[in-house]
Amino acid sequence: MQLLTDFFSGLLGLIISPLGVILLLSALAYYFALKKSSGFYAEHGREVHSLPFYNASYVALSIFLPAAVFLLIFSIVAPMVYQSMVETTYQNHLQSLTDFQQSNFINNVFALTTGNITSKSSEMITEASQYLTSLMNVGQYVRWFGTIGFAAIFGFLAYRAVNPRLRARNRVEIIIKTLLIICSIIAILTTIGIVLSLVFESLRFFQKVPITEFLFGMHWSPQTSIRPGQVSAEGSFAALPLIAGTMLITFIAMLVAGPIGLMSAIYLSDYASPKFRSIAKPVLEILAGIPTVVYGFFAALTVAPLIRGWGESIGLSVSSESALAAGLVMGIMIIPLVSSLSDDVINSVPQAMRDGSYGLGATKSETIRQVVLPAALPGIVSAMLLAVSRAIGETMIVVMAAGLAANLTINPLEAVTTVTVQIVTLLVGDQEFDSAKTLAAFALGLLLFVITLTLNVIALRVVQKYREQYE
Amino acid sequence: MEVQSAVKDKVEQDKAMALKEETAKTAANTAAKTVKMSGKDVCVYYGEKQALFDVNLDILENSVTSLIGPSGCGKSTFLRCLNRMNDVIDICRVTGEITLEGDDIYDPSLDVVELRARVGMVFQKPNPFPKSIYDNVAYGPRIHGITADRTELDELVESSLQKAGLWNEVKDRVAESGTGLSGGQQQRLCIARAIATKPDVILMDEPCSALDPIATATIEELIDELRANYTIVIVTHSMQQAARVSQRTAFFHLGKIIEEGETTQIFTNPQDEKTQDYITGRFG
Amino acid sequence: MSTEHIVTSYEDELASLDNKIAQMGGLTEHLIADAFDALSKRDAELAVKVISDDDKIDQFELDIEEQAIAMIARRQPMALDLRQIMVAIKITSDLERIGDLGKNMAKRVLSIHSERHPAQLMHGMRSMQELALGQLKDVLDSYAERNTNKALAVWRGDEEIDAIYNSLFRELLTYMMEDPRNIGLCTHLLFCAKNLERIGDHTTNIAENVHYLVLGNPIQEERPKGDKTSQMLVNHDDQD
Repeated sequence: MQLLTDFFSGLLGLIISPLGVILLLSALAYYFALKKSSGFYAEHGREVHSLPFYNASYVALSIFLPAAVFLLIFSIVAPMVYQSMVETTYQNHLQSLTDFQQSNFINNVFALTTGNITSKSSEMITEASQYLTSLMNVGQYVRWFGTIGFAAIFGFLAYRAVNPRLRARNRVEIIIKTLLIICSIIAILTTIGIVLSLVFESLRFFQKVPITEFLFGMHWSPQTSIRPGQVSAEGSFAALPLIAGTMLITFIAMLVAGPIGLMSAIYLSDYASPKFRSIAKPVLEILAGIPTVVYGFFAALTVAPLIRGWGESIGLSVSSESALAAGLVMGIMIIPLVSSLSDDVINSVPQAMRDGSYGLGATKSETIRQVVLPAALPGIVSAMLLAVSRAIGETMIVVMAAGLAANLTINPLEAVTTVTVQIVTLLVGDQEFDSAKTLAAFALGLLLFVITLTLNVIALRVVQKYREQYE
Repeated sequence: MEVQSAVKDKVEQDKAMALKEETAKTAANTAAKTVKMSGKDVCVYYGEKQALFDVNLDILENSVTSLIGPSGCGKSTFLRCLNRMNDVIDICRVTGEITLEGDDIYDPSLDVVELRARVGMVFQKPNPFPKSIYDNVAYGPRIHGITADRTELDELVESSLQKAGLWNEVKDRVAESGTGLSGGQQQRLCIARAIATKPDVILMDEPCSALDPIATATIEELIDELRANYTIVIVTHSMQQAARVSQRTAFFHLGKIIEEGETTQIFTNPQDEKTQDYITGRFG
Repeated sequence: MSTEHIVTSYEDELASLDNKIAQMGGLTEHLIADAFDALSKRDAELAVKVISDDDKIDQFELDIEEQAIAMIARRQPMALDLRQIMVAIKITSDLERIGDLGKNMAKRVLSIHSERHPAQLMHGMRSMQELALGQLKDVLDSYAERNTNKALAVWRGDEEIDAIYNSLFRELLTYMMEDPRNIGLCTHLLFCAKNLERIGDHTTNIAENVHYLVLGNPIQEERPKGDKTSQMLVNHDDQD
C-alpha cells in the first residue's frame, strides 16, 4: 500500500514538474497537429508534402526540444546565479573570512536552505538562507514561465506552420540527424576527456619522478613518505618489472589460449557435425561468461597449489603464487574469446574457396592449412591481438594468483606482478591525491593505454592490409 | 535411250558412294567417341528429399556434354556426383553406379582424392585462392606430388597457363596475387588450376555466369580447344551457351533426365515436349 | 505447342509471321488465278493488273524476311521456333517465285492476246492450272494447320501435274509441227505450262518445309518425278 502511494505521488510529482508539463504539452500538440494535418491530407492526398505523422512529430519536437534545452541550461546556470548573488549580497561578511571559511559559509547556506545537514549554524547563515529561499522562489517562477513560454511560443509557431506545403518530413529528418550527431560527439568527447585526464595526471607524476626512471629503471617499490624526512621514504617507480610481469603472464596465457582456441575453432567450423557444433559453441560462450573473480580463486586455490606440488615433487622450487598459475588460468579464460573470434573469421572464408581446393583433390587438413588459414590469417591475427589486449588488461586473476611482488624475472615459477594489479594496489586505501604514489597509477594507466592502443592499431593495420582479397 | 540409262547408272553410283561415305563417317564418329564416364540409375538424396531420380547418362570422351534445365532440376547435383563433391555435404546420399572408364567411383576402395585429381572442377564464381598466380596453378601438382622438382613444376605451371590461354597475359606477373585478375582471367586461372593436376575430365558448374560476354566468349573458345585433350561436362543456364559449346546435351527436369542427345538435334528438333517447351522459353 | 511462350511479345511475333505468310499465300493464289484468267480470256487489262500485283508479293517477302532476321537476332529462337522462322523465310521465297511465275504468264498474255485461240489446248492448260492452284491452296492450309498428312499429299500430288505437263508438251509440239504459224503462240503457251509445272515444284518445296517444320526432319521417301520432257525428243519418224 505504502509502495503504491509512493509510486503515485512520484508520478504526480513528475507530471506537475516542468518536464512532465512539456511532455504533456508535446503529446497534446502531437494530437492536434495530427488532426489538423490529417484533415488536409484527406482532402489533398499526394499533393501534401509530408505525411500527417511527420507534421505532428515536427510540432511535438518543436515544443519539447526548446523547452527541454531551456530546462537543462536553467538547472546548470541557476545554482551559479544563486551563489554569486548570495556572495554579492554578503560581500562584506565574506571578506572577513578565510578562503576555507568562505566556501564553508556558502555550503552551509545552501545546505540549510535545501534542508540538508549543516555543519554549523549562525544568524548570518540563517539570514542568508532566507535570502536564498526568496531567490529560489523567484527562480522557480522563472523556471516554470520559461519552460511553458518556450513551449508555447515554439509550439504555436510550429502549429501555425503546419500546412500542406510544409516540408515537415525533411525537418524531422534534420532534427533526428542532429540528435544522432550530438550523441556521437558526447561519446567521442568523453573518451578524449578520459585520455586527457590520464595524460595530465601523468605529467604531474613525471614532475615528481623523471620519465626516464619510470621507463628504464629496474626497481618498483612505490613508497612515499607520509611525513617529510621519514626514513623508509625513498620509493622507486620503475615500470619495467611490471611490464615484464605483464608480458610474462600474457605470453603464458597466449601460449595456452592461442593454439587451443584456434584449433578448437578449426574443429568447430570445419570438422564438427552441426549437432556437436550446436552444443559446443554455447558451452564455450558460457565459459566466456564466468566472472573473472571465479577464475581468480580457481587459480589461487586450485591451480597454484597444484603446480607447486608438482614442481616440488620433481625438485623445483615454486612459489605459492606463480606467474605460471595465473597465466594458465588466464589462458583458459581467453580460450572462448580466441575460439569464437577465429571461428567467425574461419567461417567467413567463402565455401567456394574450400570447394575449389576439394575439387583439386586436396584433403580437409590440406585445405585448411593451405587455403582457409592463409585466407583467414588477417582475421586470426587481429583476434589474437585482441586476446593479448584482453590478457594485458586482466586484473583479478593476477591479483589472486600471481602475487604482488614486482620481480624482474622470466622464470614462470616465481611470483610476479602486472601493471593492472599495481594500479589497484596503488589506489586501494587512503592516499593523498597528489602524492607520487597515487599519480603513479595514472602513469601506469597511460602506459597500459599506449601498449593496448599500439596493439589495436597493429591489428587494424594487419586486417586492412590483408583484408579479404577474395571478393 | 542408252544415254538415259548411262545417266541413271551414274546417279545410282553417286548415291551408293555417298551412302558408303556416310556410314564410314558415322562409324568413325562412334569409334572416336568412347564412353568416358557413365551414370546408371543414379539417385541422390538430401536427407529425406530426393534430388535425382534414376539418372542414366553416358559422357563421351573428348567431347563437351552440357547439362541444362531450370533451377533446382538436379543438373548441378549430378555434376557434383561425378567427382564426389557431394561427399562434402553430410546429409547427401548417392545410390546407383557412376563409372570412370569402367571403374565405379563410389567404390569404397577408391580414393576420393585421386578421383578428384582425375576429374577436375571449375566453379560458378571464379574462386582463385588468395595466393600468387603461380601458387594457384601449382596447388594441385604440389598436393599430388605430380612434379619431381622445381623446374618441372615451373614447366607444368607454364603449360597449364598456356592451355588456359592466360600465359601471355600473366607471364610477367605470376608472382602477383591471383585475386587481382579480372573476372574472366580469374576463371581461366581456375581452369589452368584444374588442368595442372592433369585430369581426364573437367567439370564446369556454370563457369560463365559471373562473366561479361567478351570474357564468356574467351572461356567458350577455351572450352572448344580443351575438347581435343579432355572430356568436359558443363552445367549452364544459358541455352545459347550449351548450343554453342557442346556436342551433346542432356536436359534435366525435376531430378530426371528428360532428353539427351546430340546438341544440334536437341536444339533444332527435340523429341520431348518438355525439352521443347524449356529451350524455346515456354515453361510455366 | 502445349503452352505459350513466357514472353508474350515473342508469341505475338510468331503469330504475326504466320499471319503474314497466310496473307501472302492468299495473294499469290489470287495472282495465279488472275494470271490464268487473263491467259484464257486474252485479257490484257487483267494481265497488267497481275503484273502490278506481283509487287505486293515482293513487298511481303521483304517484310517477312526482315521480321524473321530481326527475330533471329533478338530472340535467338530454338527448336520449333527456329524451324518456324527458317521455314517462314523459305516458304516466302517459294511464294515469291510462284508470284514471279504468275507475273511471267501475265507478261506472255500481253504478247499473245491478239492471236488465235485453240480451245482444246486451253482445256489441258486449265486442268493443269486447277491442279496447281489446288495444290498451292492445300499446301498453304497444311502450313496453317501444321498438318503433315496434307503436306505429304501435296508432295505426292505433284506427279499428276507433271503428267499433265508431259502430255501438254507433246500436244504443243504436235501443234507446232502441224503448222509453223502456231510456233509463236505455242512457245508462249509452252512456257506458261512450264511455269505452272514450276509452280507445282515450288509447292512441293513448301510441302517439304511444312513437314520439316512440324516433325523436325526432311521427308524420307523418294519423291516421284513425273517431268520427263527433258528426255523427250521430237521424233520425226513417228510422223511417218
